[in-house]
Amino acid sequence: MRGDFTRRNFLAMGGGLSLAGLLSACGSPVVTSLTGGQPATADVIFWHLFGGGDGENMGTMVDTVQKATGHSVESTLLSWGNPYYTKLALAASSQRPPDVAISHLSRLSTLAQAGLLTPYEETGLAELGVTQDKFSAPAWQKATIDGSTYAIPLDTHPFVLYYNVDLAGKAGLLNDAGDGLTDISGEERFLEALTEMKKVTGKYGVTMANTADPSTAWRWFMTVYGGLVKDQGIVSDSGTKVTVDDEAMQETFAFLQKITVGQKLAPPNATGAVATQQFSGGEAGFLFDGVWQITVYSGVKMPDGSTLNLNMVPFPALLGDEACAYADSHSLVIPRASGRSAERAGYAAQFIQGLLGQSALWAQGGHIPAWLPTVESAAFKELSPQKNYVDAAANAVYDPDGWYTGAGSDFQNTVGAIIISALAGQMTPKSATSQMKSALKKLADTNAPVS
Amino acid sequence: MTTTTLPTPRKRKERSQADKTGSKAFNRLAATCLTLFALIWLIPFAYAVITSVRPIEEITADPIGFSLGSWTLDAYHAAFSLNSIGWWYLNSFLISTLSVVFTVIVCSLIAFGLAHLRFRGKGALTVLILAGLMVPMEALVLPQFMEFRAFGLLGTYWALILPATASPVAVFVFRSFLKGIPDALIEAARIDGASWWRIYRQICMPLCRPAVSAVAIFTFITTWNAFLWPLLVLTQTKSQTIPVGLSGLLGATSINQAEVMASAVLGLLPLLVVFLVAQRQIVQGVASTGIK
Amino acid sequence: MTTATTAVPTTRVPSDGRDNRAGWIFSTPFLVLYALFLIGPVLVGLVLSFFNTATVKNDLGAFVGLDNYLDILSSVDFWKSMWHSTLFTLLTVPFLVVLPLLAAVFAARITRNRWFYRVAFFAPYVVPSASVALIFSYIYSPEIGLLTKAFTSVGLPDPGFLSATKGAWFAVTLMTVWWTFGFNFVLYTAALQEIPEETYEAAAIDGASAWQQIRSITVPLLRPTIGLVLMLQVLASLKVFDQIYILLGGGPNGSTRPVIEYIYDTGFTTYRAGYAAAGTMVYFLILVLVSAVWMITSRRRDARA
Repeated sequence: MRGDFTRRNFLAMGGGLSLAGLLSACGSPVVTSLTGGQPATADVIFWHLFGGGDGENMGTMVDTVQKATGHSVESTLLSWGNPYYTKLALAASSQRPPDVAISHLSRLSTLAQAGLLTPYEETGLAELGVTQDKFSAPAWQKATIDGSTYAIPLDTHPFVLYYNVDLAGKAGLLNDAGDGLTDISGEERFLEALTEMKKVTGKYGVTMANTADPSTAWRWFMTVYGGLVKDQGIVSDSGTKVTVDDEAMQETFAFLQKITVGQKLAPPNATGAVATQQFSGGEAGFLFDGVWQITVYSGVKMPDGSTLNLNMVPFPALLGDEACAYADSHSLVIPRASGRSAERAGYAAQFIQGLLGQSALWAQGGHIPAWLPTVESAAFKELSPQKNYVDAAANAVYDPDGWYTGAGSDFQNTVGAIIISALAGQMTPKSATSQMKSALKKLADTNAPVS
Repeated sequence: MTTTTLPTPRKRKERSQADKTGSKAFNRLAATCLTLFALIWLIPFAYAVITSVRPIEEITADPIGFSLGSWTLDAYHAAFSLNSIGWWYLNSFLISTLSVVFTVIVCSLIAFGLAHLRFRGKGALTVLILAGLMVPMEALVLPQFMEFRAFGLLGTYWALILPATASPVAVFVFRSFLKGIPDALIEAARIDGASWWRIYRQICMPLCRPAVSAVAIFTFITTWNAFLWPLLVLTQTKSQTIPVGLSGLLGATSINQAEVMASAVLGLLPLLVVFLVAQRQIVQGVASTGIK
Repeated sequence: MTTATTAVPTTRVPSDGRDNRAGWIFSTPFLVLYALFLIGPVLVGLVLSFFNTATVKNDLGAFVGLDNYLDILSSVDFWKSMWHSTLFTLLTVPFLVVLPLLAAVFAARITRNRWFYRVAFFAPYVVPSASVALIFSYIYSPEIGLLTKAFTSVGLPDPGFLSATKGAWFAVTLMTVWWTFGFNFVLYTAALQEIPEETYEAAAIDGASAWQQIRSITVPLLRPTIGLVLMLQVLASLKVFDQIYILLGGGPNGSTRPVIEYIYDTGFTTYRAGYAAAGTMVYFLILVLVSAVWMITSRRRDARA
């Protein structure tokens, strides 16, 4: 590039190269980006948000399905939470969404009400034998909005109680058969169990990510509060009315604080990483976390060299009479795209059908498959610890309905932040409740963009 | 912003006043300080390049080591094969090139009119474009998005190229340059019967090369490096531009550092090479389009 | 904006009409694009701000009057993000106006190897923000990062470049100064070249020291350029998004989130286009006011001069 740039050079260079680019890349993103067509870099373009063990499992499942169907799949991992859903909405708005995408069921209503998703009847999945009777009922129900189903549930992943079997044995908390815990339901017995465990570990009874992780704080809160108020969520009428039960919420906060700052049964400010360290290091015998964390702990070595022997059970009833299984589900959706050919739509349906068929592998990640043929198989009934909490899927409690709720949403961040400071003992149950109410009021009063 | 006279991009003597005027000691001190400062400035580049060629085991053992005992290009290989960097290059290149071509044509046309033609409404037009200099486009992405959504242009290169083309800065660069072309020359051509189009094409544009290169450089750099708008518009993995694609690597878990640095280096390489080759023109071009 | 040419030859052929036509034909392509893509978004934003529009839907939604404006003006988060953009401006502008000036003045006194400074300072400017962020996030990473190590090795506590609010502001300020320093350096250098050598020569003969020359000749003559750089920098800093979004995601806990990211979050993450458009218009107005005030004052200064 001697001397000045000249216009002619530029034109020649630009023209030549863009032509070369076009020719070498026929049917490529370049062509579709110039003409506005549907990108077709693979038969199925698939977006998901799974890293770690889940990501590996999903990778294997995609490969298997790809081989079985003979259709190529381009699978893209995006960052979890708001960035993922923002990108999905942007892509759908621009009429260039992926052919298949993962969505949490707690996030589904906004996507569906915005008209971004293809309803089940139009997907052709029914003809492939993917029908309602083969899915876990609460998940299918959550996937159904205003009478239409918009997502194919893949799993249910509840918030559960992890325990270290060896430590629980020492604390005398194992049942006679040795395959589960003694009855620790009810506030009193539950706290006793944590106290016994604390005596054994010498440090903490339980650990959890109770700082810098608003979603986990929210899940734990809902597990307790949800058990107390049963079906009454904290908001109703699609999130436009705050229906907090003051007394129950204060009781919940008081209970949460007893465990952290009150009786010091749990660290008041552990990050996710610290919680993992404490549980796998035997510094805490219980862990409150989602089932998907199982992959983190498989094969973990304890300080004494033995392998961590853990089990997972659904939470017992805590403050109320009934247990609450706070959960969410991953589901598969087909975003609407006006330019998608019938052929490609068919590939998408086959891909979804294929992934459901791989549910057994997906269950390795701790998730309870929503696909009943897998759940009812003999192999799954033997799968431990999944078999312990499979019932949790049947009475799963999801995020309340509303345009602002859902996995990783601002709502979870906002209320999670309040819960985190309550857990750390920075406010009384009373002020936590009133803060919670005013935060919810603000969200409820906002004009909903979709409804 | 109107008041800045755009420095005419003509070659200036680079010899400084130094030898004749200032005190030698002061200049030597200035040189030393500045050189040290400049060396510090280069550290991030050096660090990125060195990390990118170190084997991953060595990085884990000693993350800030600057030694280059053994080096490898594995990270570059991995960065290329794991991501769609090739596609991102192509997208960025096409978008920037087309933006340059359109901007040069469209803006020089109107600038020619403003500089040499007398027509009704010219004064108002100038003021209107001048006002455009004040419009902060980055702040307007939301309405811009909604507008392009309505036009059905989202997801295409055009959504990036067309807005880049409407550049008031480029118009004023061309105008100030074209004004320097003597009227006598143009009048003479008119008397010879040349059409305005021919005068524009065959007389003015050839004389306008420095302005063309200034606008071209400026447009190329800004479109190549644009982030927010391409982030919103091009969502498909293989349709993204370099900056947007790379930003997706940040926060992605379990990617090794050598690979991340290799991607960063791959991302900055093309413009850096162009810059090193043509630094004088680029710096002059940027200075003459100084109004961002 | 004088458009008349000084000497109109008597032989001038075209009538006014033909010039009119040609003038508008030459202007049309630009004007169409300008109207659509520069003025268009302003008008669209204005309209949307009165409706409860959803970003992902094709219709405008319900008319809500001034609701969106009332909401945005009473939103704590919006004003917080406004403050973050302002704080970023306050943090970066002094460095980016003064440091490049010093560097350019020094560089102007050096005869040899000028290309080196040009390359060292300006090269970062041609690097995409994402590459810069990737490199700096590694430099800032806890425990293993170059700068974190530099802090801890001299006994200072880890400032938490990516995890603590103060550390994050430091991190993003340093990164921005590194990245955009060269642009202002180039503007100053170009202006310095316009100062005739004779001015210095005369001063040198009078026995002025180098420092005196800088103070009494260079800086006063550069005043208009300093004004320009200051203004461009204030506007650019107020529009910050890339660095903070890529490096920090507006974190930790939204404590560095700038206005554009607030608009992005409300408009694209929660689909509230109408509300975000109201935020856009408020922000737009502030930016335009800032440029207008500067334009007027610099006009006045020019007029006086």
